[in-house]
Amino acid sequence: MEKWKLGVATVAAIAALGLAGCSNNQGSSNSKNVTMWVHVSNTDPEGKALQKNVNDFNKENKHGYKAKVQFIPRSGSGGGYEDKVNAALNSGSLPDVLTLDGPNTAAYAHSKIIQPIDKYITNKKDILPTIIKQGTYKGKLYAAGYSESSIGIYYNKKMFKEAGIKDSEIATLKHPWTWTQFKDICKRLKNHFHEPAINMNLNDHSEMALYSLAPFVWSAGGSITNPAGTKAVGYFNSKQTTSAFQLIQDMVKDGYTTISPKDKGFETGKYAMMMTGTWEVQTLQNQYKNLQWGVMPYPVSPATHKQVSPTGSWQYAMSSTAKNKKAAGALINFLMSKKCMYRSDMANTVLPARKSVSKMMMPKVNEQMRFFIKQNQTTGHARPVLVNYPQVTRTFADTVQNVTLYKKNPNVQKVMNEQAKVIQKYLQK
Amino acid sequence: MQTKGIKRQIGWLYVLPAILILLTFLIIPFLMSFSYSFTNYNILTPWAKQYVGFTNYINTFKDPVFLQSLKNIAQFVIFIMPIQVGAALGLALIVNKKRPGNTFFKISFFAPQVVSLTVVSILWMYILNPDQGLLNGILGIFHIKPQPFLTSPKQAMFAIIGVSAWQGAGYQMLIFLAGLQNIPDSLYEAAELDGANSWQRFLHITLPMLKPTSMMILTTTFISAFNLVIQPMIMTQGGPQNATMTPIYYIYRTGFTDRQLGYASAMSVIYGIIIIIFTIIQRKITNAGGDENA
Repeated sequence: MEKWKLGVATVAAIAALGLAGCSNNQGSSNSKNVTMWVHVSNTDPEGKALQKNVNDFNKENKHGYKAKVQFIPRSGSGGGYEDKVNAALNSGSLPDVLTLDGPNTAAYAHSKIIQPIDKYITNKKDILPTIIKQGTYKGKLYAAGYSESSIGIYYNKKMFKEAGIKDSEIATLKHPWTWTQFKDICKRLKNHFHEPAINMNLNDHSEMALYSLAPFVWSAGGSITNPAGTKAVGYFNSKQTTSAFQLIQDMVKDGYTTISPKDKGFETGKYAMMMTGTWEVQTLQNQYKNLQWGVMPYPVSPATHKQVSPTGSWQYAMSSTAKNKKAAGALINFLMSKKCMYRSDMANTVLPARKSVSKMMMPKVNEQMRFFIKQNQTTGHARPVLVNYPQVTRTFADTVQNVTLYKKNPNVQKVMNEQAKVIQKYLQK
Repeated sequence: MQTKGIKRQIGWLYVLPAILILLTFLIIPFLMSFSYSFTNYNILTPWAKQYVGFTNYINTFKDPVFLQSLKNIAQFVIFIMPIQVGAALGLALIVNKKRPGNTFFKISFFAPQVVSLTVVSILWMYILNPDQGLLNGILGIFHIKPQPFLTSPKQAMFAIIGVSAWQGAGYQMLIFLAGLQNIPDSLYEAAELDGANSWQRFLHITLPMLKPTSMMILTTTFISAFNLVIQPMIMTQGGPQNATMTPIYYIYRTGFTDRQLGYASAMSVIYGIIIIIFTIIQRKITNAGGDENA
């Protein structure tokens, strides 16, 4: 008799413990306290810099606000962190301030998970227009990006020389290649090395596809949707947009690039060029010290000569349930200050989101990072702000995959007409 | 009387953990997704979900990707069953004979099983790479031109079938091996005396004696084949052109990437029903086989 009672008590205790573990222990809502969730780990440079910035906020703010950060490292594509945010939506336990990826701005703002922060952010003119655009939904600023990103065309100097490409032919921000010149260089490299000339990451069907390839569309004067984000038919299948996808198909068809690139093909000197992001600078510097390389800008459409590069990164936002808006706003503004941004962007070797921070960083970074900072400020283009962005970016990636299967889909315009209808389904009426 | 009551209560106590786990992770989630399937539940706006009747169910049958995923999984199930189970039986027969180095082969054949599916998938992406992969290198020796494998809508699913069979066969080999070792030697000896050759012995002794083991393996392979998700998720992201999209992967993507939990729930209810129907049919066939045997 005693035994079974003890058993019941034990089970009940375990169950109670389990339930308590699930519940949220955020503590009482003291109005001076600000809670914050971030997607990075507190052991990596970005996390460490953020913790320092928050410590400074706690020391320096005059109102006695106390901010506390919880680090929820995301998995590869944003998994772990976003799962936690989604779960918190269900239980109504979002923090006051959170980080979110650029493309999520519209969905979060539309769902009223986050609220406008216009009035809390000071010195907005100093912030890059692409950052403002990324964080703006229906005319209001909802999120503040604290860093920028970009992509360039990395090239192997030795291989270029070997193939007879002169220094004067190298593309620069002042004199970018047109698509025709780009294809011509590819041809020469391919004929010399009997390998595809460039790895354009066409095996990556994630967000990377839109992020890295949409600049070709924008350079041609095309777009994914109309500016209001309500129409894709007539935009995604326009002549301009189609010309960019035609270029991608031609690049594959002519063997200048490949849909199944060799692993580390550029790093090991198999491909003479690679299209990739700012993050590669550190990898090449630290792990491939013998490789002589440089970075060039995106080639431009011969029809427009318009220079475009991709932009966007993670941002700070205030949740709709923030208990003390002033305190949360003050924290975001503090983290967006020159001092904080400089510290975190330098620590993480990323591009700055403020013009003034760019000036501070320029003398401290290497030649390639200087190129990226310049490219970002002069040719940067924000991604579209759309509520159903995940579906749109996937359709973009599917379209890239469709046109690169050129034997099956030789008619690019036909693919674009079909895919425009698919995107149209996902747009807000 | 009283002791009987206490005994009953203790009985409940013993099954309580199992009941709690089943309730928490199976029954309640199932009931929840059933109720969500009639709503427009968006993961970002859980408070704004509205009842939409059978809209999600009707859309499911009009969704070309979902229908394609059903076709794909049918293709996978039909091919994986004979390939994987056949390979497992073949391997078991190889290592069943006592010869030197047997343990090495047993471990080698079983090894893929202890590696996580994610790692297996990444490993095979290297092997199947059209430009530098090991497999095309081997084919090249035989003057077969390089195959596109994962980048071809026609070949991608077969590549995944091959990888899955390679990974899964080792475990089933062990079960077959146990079955083989339970067959009394006297049967083979008697058959040999009667002049049966090795093929006849396999056909008339080994296969019939392995029937219960085979049925068990067929059932588990069948059910697990329906849950295919990791290999396409890692190796092809469901492509090219949805050629390797599976229902579970599509449901996951719709729910958690596209945030349409209501619609994803409707698809999972439909897919759940499909699996239940096929499992019942399969059990009926298996039981019928069992009765014959008995």
